Amino acid sequence: MTRIFKTALAALWLTLGAVAAQAGPVQDLLQEQGDLIEQSSRRTIQPAIEAIVASGLPRVQPVLQAWQDKALWRDGEGRFWRVIEEGGAEILVDVDTGERIGPAETDAMAQIKPNSGIRALIGTALVQFQLSDPDPARRREALVSISRDPEPELLAPLRAAIETETDADLHARKIRLERLLTMRFGTDEAGRVAAIEALSTDTAVETRAALNPLLTTRLAVVPAGATPEGNLARALQPGGEELSITAAYARLVDAGLAPARPSAADIRAALEAHREGGRVGGVALETLGDPAARARAYDALAREGLVPPRVEESDVAAMLGAHDFFDVYAEPSAAVTDAARAAITSIGIRVGALQGVDIGLDALSLASIYFLAAIGLAVTFGVMGVINMAHGEFIMMGAYTAYLVQQIVPDRTLSLIAALPAAFIVTFVAGVAMERLVIRHLYHRPLETLLATFGISIALQQLAKIIFGTQARPLTAPDWLGGAWIVNDVVGISHIRIAIFVLALMFLGFFLFLMKRTRLGLETRAVTQNPGMAASVGIDPNRVNMLTFGLGSGIAGIAGVAIGLYAKVTSEMGADYIVQSFMTVVVGGVGNIWGTLAGAAMIGGLQKGIEVLNPSNTLAAQTWMIVAVIIFIQFRPRGIIALRGRAAGD
Amino acid sequence: MTGSFLARNPSVPLVLGLLALATVIVTVMAASGGVSTSFVKTLGMTLCLALAALAMDLVWGYAGILSLGNIAFFALGGYMIGMWLMTARTEAIVAESLAGQAIPPTPAEIRDAVGGQIFGVVGSTEFPAIWAFSGSLPAQLALVVLVPSLLALVFGWLAFRSRVTGVYLSILTQAMTLALALYLFQNDAGLRGNNGLSGLQNLPGMGGVPQSTVSLWFLWSSALMLGLGYVLCAWVVSGKFGAILRGIRDNEQRVRFLGYPVEGFKLAVFTLSAAITGVAGALYYPQAGIVNPAEMMPIASIYLAVWVAIGGRGRLYGAMIGAMVVSLVSSFFTSGQLPDLGLGPVRIVWVDWWLVILGLSFVAVTLFAPRGLGGLVDLWSQRRRPARHGADLGPDRGSFREEEAEA
Repeated sequence: MTRIFKTALAALWLTLGAVAAQAGPVQDLLQEQGDLIEQSSRRTIQPAIEAIVASGLPRVQPVLQAWQDKALWRDGEGRFWRVIEEGGAEILVDVDTGERIGPAETDAMAQIKPNSGIRALIGTALVQFQLSDPDPARRREALVSISRDPEPELLAPLRAAIETETDADLHARKIRLERLLTMRFGTDEAGRVAAIEALSTDTAVETRAALNPLLTTRLAVVPAGATPEGNLARALQPGGEELSITAAYARLVDAGLAPARPSAADIRAALEAHREGGRVGGVALETLGDPAARARAYDALAREGLVPPRVEESDVAAMLGAHDFFDVYAEPSAAVTDAARAAITSIGIRVGALQGVDIGLDALSLASIYFLAAIGLAVTFGVMGVINMAHGEFIMMGAYTAYLVQQIVPDRTLSLIAALPAAFIVTFVAGVAMERLVIRHLYHRPLETLLATFGISIALQQLAKIIFGTQARPLTAPDWLGGAWIVNDVVGISHIRIAIFVLALMFLGFFLFLMKRTRLGLETRAVTQNPGMAASVGIDPNRVNMLTFGLGSGIAGIAGVAIGLYAKVTSEMGADYIVQSFMTVVVGGVGNIWGTLAGAAMIGGLQKGIEVLNPSNTLAAQTWMIVAVIIFIQFRPRGIIALRGRAAGD
Repeated sequence: MTGSFLARNPSVPLVLGLLALATVIVTVMAASGGVSTSFVKTLGMTLCLALAALAMDLVWGYAGILSLGNIAFFALGGYMIGMWLMTARTEAIVAESLAGQAIPPTPAEIRDAVGGQIFGVVGSTEFPAIWAFSGSLPAQLALVVLVPSLLALVFGWLAFRSRVTGVYLSILTQAMTLALALYLFQNDAGLRGNNGLSGLQNLPGMGGVPQSTVSLWFLWSSALMLGLGYVLCAWVVSGKFGAILRGIRDNEQRVRFLGYPVEGFKLAVFTLSAAITGVAGALYYPQAGIVNPAEMMPIASIYLAVWVAIGGRGRLYGAMIGAMVVSLVSSFFTSGQLPDLGLGPVRIVWVDWWLVILGLSFVAVTLFAPRGLGGLVDLWSQRRRPARHGADLGPDRGSFREEEAEA
């Protein structure tokens, strides 16, 4: 008895509890719209969604979300529940409190199944909740989804969400998105024009992409002298740049204003189809290699009505002359298209200026790469006068050393710090060895030096190929060098290029210090100007030459680390830079570090400048850059900064 | 400067005789099956390389201009003849395939089909403007000589008049070669981009002739051109012209002060060298079968200099010997016939290591034998140089006394 009572009591409590839990404003709201919700018809659902949104209840959003996700259920008594799945079990959730009630018995309940149209409507309604979501990430997501899939209905909630935005970046984005949507879907002309004008200083890719569709045109054709209806963009002349004769005639054919013109292939196929015993239209088959005979045969077929007649060039011209061609905007409002055109022009100018800045940055970074590659040569070739064709291979050795260091030291930053001195030491030793074994015996014989060092270059390159294989080895930059510094959609530069620029500046300072402020620099300058005199005042020319050459090679090794990070490490990477490096030194003026700097700036600037004319073709840019350099040498054979007097060596 | 041409150039009859003898021997052996067709081709190509080396020796060994642009002239010659070979052969193929159709093709249709065949790989069907003469063999043969000469003339005029000499000139010619290679790598340059011109080993209208016969024809014509080139070069360098060239090499300023137009002489010999090199290339590439811009990359341009240096520059037969020896030894090492050599952990694969050996032997020749292989002839002919003190400075600087060279 007690047990029965207890059970009954528990059941009553449960029921009471459940009922109590359901007595809430959201449930009431849902009950009010219950029939419409259950009906699930695209045509009648809108008032229900609007009523739910208009209630302004905080718990409405999860309910709408559940509805959209088909997770809203109705039990036997007509009450609405959210059902969530957790670990395979279905759990009943109260729509008002969000409390978990217990396991759901979905067998006894009906699922609300909105179709895709209704789900889209719910989604639109949900956007305004997301737009004012406390989580900035959610708000950002909502903005991205709107800009990806803009709808006229989203305009109102977006406008409502601008005022309350606290995050400055998101605020700016919302304003831009609002303008983009207004521009596209706005109902009053003045508002759209205002939105377009407000956008005319905005260089973002998104804005540019949104403005262009406003100016889509179609090709309209009318009898000569008439004007087509709609918002005219411009009149077109067939045979002009914008409208070829073929395209204009094709438009006439499409409009049914002219007969289709049989192509050469059509004529050929027609002749082939109407062969009769070695003749077509009375013309012998063998003679059809002649275009005139072909025309005769086809005309004969056309006279018999077997094929559509040929259209002569003169007919085409007459037909085109009898019609006028216009581009007509799809957008009916002239004010809007005018504003859009003005905005595109103004944005174009701004983008052009920004691209100029971006190209300037690119040229600067290319110039620093050339400078880095050439600065070792500025020592060995510029100061000592030794042609070292294996210079590129020293760059390669530096890069491979960094690669090997990276294999031993896993931490990217540490390995980079270790690689710089390691590359210097390896290439310094290689340079000293090369000077002692080969170059020392070839002073004053520049052409022989060129050839001998080229032999070494071939051997080193092939050795690297044998040891490391032909595929490129990765030299990974540390994470802090991996990103890019992005100013806006147009201007940006990767950190690694900035680092190369800084490294180039450091080398410039180092070189100046070494040559002008140290004993070795003094001795080097003395030995290169007059070895006999230098020797007689107690400088050992052999030792100085050896150290200077080693130094130049060591710098090449460090440059190799930087270039390896920026490009890729292969056995041929040095050969890619050798001609450009020599040109940098020669163009700049031999024997002067400022000249090398100017040469690098000129070569880098020229290459990027030419690339602007034809951006897709870097090969052409390199070709014309070299041609420009060859012509430049005509006017300043001694380079930009030429040494004069005794230092020039003659 | 006395005596007949042959008396002043005893090497000419010797070289011509040896060349004729070698050609006859190879022909007989090929006819009896003693040597393979591919080896005959290798020999023919070697003769072309020797001709190119001869032209290189003319500018470098005699006039002191280390031109690293000669390989560009070589490849241009190949391109010029290749344009005709490709067009004519494709025309034959297209005409054959179109002839099977019911309606005979119009000339325009043939032209379009040929264009589609040739330029399909670079996504075009139109003949570029530079192919205007590709249908005519005499025109293209003239271009084989004219195009390299014109390039050399313009470039040389620019370079020599601004007094670019020595190493600077070498780097500038290297830059010119690189620029040309990069230009030809583009598809819209009109020479099929990096595909280059291919199928050149098939002579148009000679479909029935086996390659073994064609390779002999090329061997004969290569030998003939090499012989003619040798006589021409020997004639150029043996007279007064040659004396002035050597003067320019040894001391350009003095020759200028003596009143000779140095720039004109240099330009003439540079242009002549380009023309000879163009002819050599036009004979080489039909035997190689393919010409593409990779032939002009920096490493290739130095090979020519390497051959001349190894053979001994400043003497024509030296350049020939160098080109032949290096090219034949090179094809021997890279043929894969040599067994690999195991040295403990290192395994010497000759195909890979050959370039290392070549590079180092080149250094060795420069350091220890500036006169190259041709210097051996001096030992045999008992020709001794006057005893000068100090190191042997090679043919150009070697004419100085030691003190003069050091200054």
